[in-house]
Amino acid sequence: MSSFTIARILPEVLGLNGSGASAEILAVSLRAMGHAVSVVDVHGPDDAPAQVDCVSIGSGSASSLQLAAARLIGLVRMFGVWRAEGAFTVAIGTGWDLLGAAVITPEGDTVPGAGIFPSEADHRHARFSGEVAGLDYRGRPSAGYVNQVGVLTRGEGGSPLMSVDASRAPYPVDEGFIGNRMFATRLGGPALAVNPHWSNDIVSSLVETRGHTFTPTDFHDRVATAAAHTRAHIEKRLGVSRS
Amino acid sequence: MASVPAFLIAKLLRFLTRLRGGGSALPGYVLLRLVPDALGMALGKLPRGVIFVTGSNGKSTTTMMLAALLKEHGLRVFSNPAGGNLPQGLASALVARASLAGKVRADIAVLEVDEAYGPAIAALVTPDWVVVTNIQVDQLNRFGEPEQVYRKVLELALGAKIGVVVNRSDPNGEALGSELLARGQRVETMELAPEVIAQPAHGLVSAPLFFDSVTPLEAAPSAVVTAVEGRLARLQVAGWLGEIELPAPGVHYAIDAGLAVAMAVAVVGSGFRNEALVRAFDGASPVYGRGETIQYRGHDFALTMMKNLPSLQANLDSMSGPFATVWLSVDEGTPDPSWIFDVDLGPLTHVDVLSGSKAWQWALLLEHRAIPYGQVIEDTREAFNAVVHLAGESSAPIQAIVNYEQMMLIRRIAGYRELEGKQ
Repeated sequence: MSSFTIARILPEVLGLNGSGASAEILAVSLRAMGHAVSVVDVHGPDDAPAQVDCVSIGSGSASSLQLAAARLIGLVRMFGVWRAEGAFTVAIGTGWDLLGAAVITPEGDTVPGAGIFPSEADHRHARFSGEVAGLDYRGRPSAGYVNQVGVLTRGEGGSPLMSVDASRAPYPVDEGFIGNRMFATRLGGPALAVNPHWSNDIVSSLVETRGHTFTPTDFHDRVATAAAHTRAHIEKRLGVSRS
Repeated sequence: MASVPAFLIAKLLRFLTRLRGGGSALPGYVLLRLVPDALGMALGKLPRGVIFVTGSNGKSTTTMMLAALLKEHGLRVFSNPAGGNLPQGLASALVARASLAGKVRADIAVLEVDEAYGPAIAALVTPDWVVVTNIQVDQLNRFGEPEQVYRKVLELALGAKIGVVVNRSDPNGEALGSELLARGQRVETMELAPEVIAQPAHGLVSAPLFFDSVTPLEAAPSAVVTAVEGRLARLQVAGWLGEIELPAPGVHYAIDAGLAVAMAVAVVGSGFRNEALVRAFDGASPVYGRGETIQYRGHDFALTMMKNLPSLQANLDSMSGPFATVWLSVDEGTPDPSWIFDVDLGPLTHVDVLSGSKAWQWALLLEHRAIPYGQVIEDTREAFNAVVHLAGESSAPIQAIVNYEQMMLIRRIAGYRELEGKQ
């Protein structure tokens, strides 16, 4: 068994509405397979571990944007170091926006991003708040709740995480980002719990770098069952039938 | 339409809706369609004015406490005790109390007002005072982010004819009060002693708003909560130091009390009497569904509201386990329960029954927290009976942690009447 370190970035600023849960969800999954995991909250360069296996960043609100962007600047070098050593990056909502190339604020100002993801966020567009469902990049049913302002433009590299085919109001078909040890989604909060196949993909990647294989346990089976019921309710509310 | 026929129709509707055993916002909705300025006509000329109580949490309890305080000071109070805090809910409360001519025999109105609808309700009847309980993370599916709530509350508070009451120990209360003061509004405050602030395991659970800078509110607070122990709170009001009884244990109830007292002091002025204060809180019972205990098939069900993250966290922080039987029920009234992953479940070491259409989302959280849970029964009525069966002969109260809509349903199933003006 191995020891893993997950860095949770700026949880006091970017952890709104359950979006800081990705670190917990991945840690519990790894622990269920017998691995040791430490989740380290990173508030600035001084408490950034030298080596991490996974970087997790959550979502925030309008007044947190400038503050979070300013604090992330101090962490850009560490992001580079971690990624060069193979760390997986998991980003939710505003965290994804800020790890992209730039964020255009509702006032039209451009806030530079950390440049990790090949994407750009534009917050001048209206907020979407509602459930979405679709199939992910491997054709697996996926769903969740999106509560984000603006739109995101993906650049070169990677693929959409999922193709959205159901939502209450118009929502872009291409949702999220997957590729090159990077995962991002606008699905809020515990997206990895509601879609444990994504959590399992990330955990598989983490354990394989240490020479292990992903071995689902009873915990993973129970989570898969609860998540399937949760997604089925979302699909039902959205009038989707996948049978 | 003229008032008399409109109120007659609304009162008839109220009678009919109550015949089927419940309250309803329908009479108020119809009244406002027929007489759009009914609230202003009835309440706009009350001799002691109109008070709005708004904020994310604690509105119903603060409203109830303030109404009780003012009554103890001899004022006739019009209020909306059922928590119908949208325009139609307020109008329904009016239908219940007003004469056919639309007149209310009251000196003052104390109205619980939805934080987003505040400015719209103020357009119908302008408040003299606004009490702001707090700005916390709540209904993000509706508000998007807490900043929206701050802006709505600020807009409402700026329109108050006399002033605003805030909790200056709460960072958002202080920021709001500071901004209001800078913009020329009168601000009265209450505060908590540092040891009271430190008491809840998760603090005051204010929404994380990142203000550039906040000017501290300098003026002396009208009420200070100096200690909270169980259901007892120690208050300092002017030179008086005394104890009051809270409706349920918890610092959040003491904050509601402090706000109500600070507001009453401002309204009653030199006529404020400390013995009336103590009497107002004597034997205080929880407001409808909040910390309430109901009976069903020989068992006590202690209802704990999971309206949002701060309210659930505050409630859990004030509870002490272990609990014999735990029932958790949540439905579509909570459109996005993502926030449950932010809750420290504290005394919750097991859940016996999960129900409602969002039960499986709770199951996901419990799996990740290694908290064992029993059956998932989506149908609430079926779950209610299963919980009774599980409790067996035990006389220990059953802890029912429920969202607002499930609380209403559970009360209805147990044969409890709904109150006026629910949404």
